[in-house]
Amino acid sequence: MPRQALAALLLLAPSAAFLLAFSYWPVLYVAVESLTAGRGGADLGNYARLFADPHFAQAVRNNLVYAVGTIAPSVTLALLFALALRDSTRLNAMLRTLLVMPLLIPLVAAAALFSFVLLPGQGLLDWYLARLGIAATNWLGDPDLALGSIIALTVWKNTGYYMLFFIAGLAAVPQELLDAAKIDGARALARFRHVTLPMLGPTFGFVLPIALLNALTQVDHVVTLTQGGPSDSTSLLLYYIYQQAAQNDDPGLAAAATLISVAALLALSLGTFRALDRGIHYAS
Amino acid sequence: MTITRRAAMGAALALPAANLVRAARAAEPVAIDLFFPVPVQGMLANEMQTLIERFNGQQPEVRVTAAYTGSYDDTNLKTRAAIKAGRPPAAVIMSANFVREYVINDEVDAFDDLIGQDGKTPSEYMDAFWPALRPNAVIDGRVYGIPFQNSTPLLYYGVDAFRDAGLDPDHPPATWAEWVDAAVKLTRPNGQRWGLMFPGTYDYCGWITSGLVMSNGGQYFNHDYGGEVFYDAPSALGALSLLDLMVNKHKAIPPGVSDANACTGAFFAGRTGMMVLSTGSLSFVRSNMKSPYRVAFMPRNLRNAAPIGGGSLILPKGNTPERRQAAWKLVNWLTSPEISGEWSRFTGYFAPRKAAYDLPDMKAYVQQYPDAKVALDQLQYAVPWFDTYSTVAVRKAMEDQVQALLSAKTTPAEAAAAAQKGADALLRPYVERTALKLPA
Repeated sequence: MPRQALAALLLLAPSAAFLLAFSYWPVLYVAVESLTAGRGGADLGNYARLFADPHFAQAVRNNLVYAVGTIAPSVTLALLFALALRDSTRLNAMLRTLLVMPLLIPLVAAAALFSFVLLPGQGLLDWYLARLGIAATNWLGDPDLALGSIIALTVWKNTGYYMLFFIAGLAAVPQELLDAAKIDGARALARFRHVTLPMLGPTFGFVLPIALLNALTQVDHVVTLTQGGPSDSTSLLLYYIYQQAAQNDDPGLAAAATLISVAALLALSLGTFRALDRGIHYAS
Repeated sequence: MTITRRAAMGAALALPAANLVRAARAAEPVAIDLFFPVPVQGMLANEMQTLIERFNGQQPEVRVTAAYTGSYDDTNLKTRAAIKAGRPPAAVIMSANFVREYVINDEVDAFDDLIGQDGKTPSEYMDAFWPALRPNAVIDGRVYGIPFQNSTPLLYYGVDAFRDAGLDPDHPPATWAEWVDAAVKLTRPNGQRWGLMFPGTYDYCGWITSGLVMSNGGQYFNHDYGGEVFYDAPSALGALSLLDLMVNKHKAIPPGVSDANACTGAFFAGRTGMMVLSTGSLSFVRSNMKSPYRVAFMPRNLRNAAPIGGGSLILPKGNTPERRQAAWKLVNWLTSPEISGEWSRFTGYFAPRKAAYDLPDMKAYVQQYPDAKVALDQLQYAVPWFDTYSTVAVRKAMEDQVQALLSAKTTPAEAAAAAQKGADALLRPYVERTALKLPA
C-alpha cells in the first residue's frame, strides 16, 4: 500500500471507528432486530404486524399532519420575519432576539411551560381569551384540538431558528441584482419573486431537510404534554416507537417502525434535495 | 518428596495470612444499588437519599447506593435496560402493576427463600400487609413484590361549594345516585364551576375507570391470570354510562381530558366542587388548598371499592446470593413499621404494613389529619391494581375509549366493545401460550 493511502487510512481511522460503533452498527442492529426479534427465525412478521396495527397507521397520519402543519407555517413565517427584519437597526436586533429566544429553551422545558399556559380556564392563554369573551378551551384534552396545540407550540419554537438562516441567506443576495431589477422597472413583489426567492435556493435546500428531520425526531413535547393522547390523537411516529420499545417491551415492532420511519425520511430528504437542486442558483 | 524448611515455614505463614484476608473481606460491607422512582415532584428524592444514608449509618454490613430513576415508567425502562446489559440492580421500587410482567418475562427472583430463612411462610409474611395488596405482590403463589408506598383514589370536595349548592358537607355523596345529584347541583354554567373533575390522562384514566367498574360490582380484570380483562361486561358498561351521563348529558364534568394540574388548579380556585385524586396527593392538596375541603370514599353503585396503586420492592434476577441477602436486609428495613410510617407521613401515601398504624406517631398523625383517616378507613374496601400481560398497552385499550367518550366521540356500548376487542388482540400471544395451550 502506498504511504499516502496508509496515512490517509490512519487519519480516518478514529472517526471511522466512532462512525462504525455508534452509527452503522446500531443501524445494522436495528435492521436485524426488525427481522428477528420475537420471531423464530428471520422473516417479515414484524412488518406485517406493524402494518396491521391501527395505532401505527394513526401515528403515520398524525405525523403527516404534524409535518405539513409545522413546516409550512414555520418556514413561511421565518422567511417573512427575515424579510421584515433584514436591516440591522437597533429595534430589529431586539425583535430578532425575541424571535430567536424560543430556540434557547429546550423543547422539553418549553413544553412544561406550555402545560401551564394551556391549562383550560386557568392558563395564560385562556386568561387573555376570556377577556375577549372566549370561554375556557381544553387545548390539550380535546382530541380535535390537541394536535393543533402541539403544532402551534412547535411553530413557535422553530420559526426563530429558521429565520436565522433566511437572514443569512438574504445577506448573500447581491445588491446589484436587486438594483438592476429595480432599474428594469420590477416592483417589490416582482423583485422578491424573481430575484430574492431564487437566490435563497440554497437556504431552502438546507432549511427544509432540517425541518423535515425535526418533524420526525422531536417528541419531547408529546411526552411532556399528552403522552400521545387523548385517544392517540397526538401520537407521532417516534412516540409510537418509544411506546413499543419501552412500554410494551416489543423490540420487533419498534425496530420495524424505526426502519420504516428512517427509510421514509431518507426518501423525503433526497426528494427535497433533488427538487430544490434543479432550481438552485449557487452564487459563485 | 522432601519438605524443605523454607516451604514448611511458608505454608505455616500463608495459612493465617489467607484467613486474615478472608476476615478482612467479610468485614467489608456488601455494596448494592437501589433504583427508586418519584411519581410526584419535589422533595421525595432528597428524602429517599436521606433515608438510605440513615440505613448505611445504622449497620456495617450493607452499603446502599440509591439511584433516582425518574417516573415509574422511566424506572421500568432503566431496570429492563440494566437487566439486559447484565448489570441488574439489587433492588428496585417498581410500579406494583408491572411486577406481573417481570414474572412473565422471568426477570425477577421470588422472596420466598429469604422469607423462609426468617422462619415464616410467605403467607404469614404477607399477612402483615393490607390484604388488597396481595394480588399485585403474590403471583403464581410466590411473593415477588414487597409493597412500599401505596395509594387509592379519594373523592375530594370543597365545603364552600357544597354549601353554596345547598348540599350538606357533612354528608358527602355515598352512592352513584347521590354523586350525580351532587355533581349536577354543584355545576354552574359556562365553566364557572364544574360538578366533578378527575384526571383523564393515561394511567390515571385507567386507574379511575377500574375503580368505577369495581364500585359497580365488577372485577375489571382477572386478578389471578394475566390474560383476561372484562371491558365489555355489564359492570364496565355501567361505569362508562355513568361517565357519559355526567359529561355528555348533565355537562357536570368538563368535556375532553383534564390532567392532574387542571383538576387541582380548578379545585384550589373553587372552579370544581369535587375531584377524584390519589391519596398520594393528600399532602399536596393540604398545603395548597386555601378554603376548607374534605375527603370521602369513592361513591358506590353496588359495593364500595377503591383500586390500589403504588410501588413495591422487587429483586431483579441475576444478582449473587450475597447481594440478594444484602437487598433483603434493605427491603426489611424500608418496609418496617417505623420507616414506612415515616414515609407515609411525609408523602401522604398509606403505609402498606398494618402495624405502622399502631405506632404512637402514626396514631397522632391520623388524629390530627381527618383526611388521612378517611384514606385509611377506605382501605377495607381496597381492590387490586390492574395488571396483565403487557399492562400498559392493555390498559390503554380502555383508556383510549374512555377519552373518546369524554369528548362524545363514541357511546358507552361502542366504547366497551372496542376496548375489549383491542385488549383481546394484545393479550392473544400470551393467551395462546398459556390458557389455550392444550395437550395434543
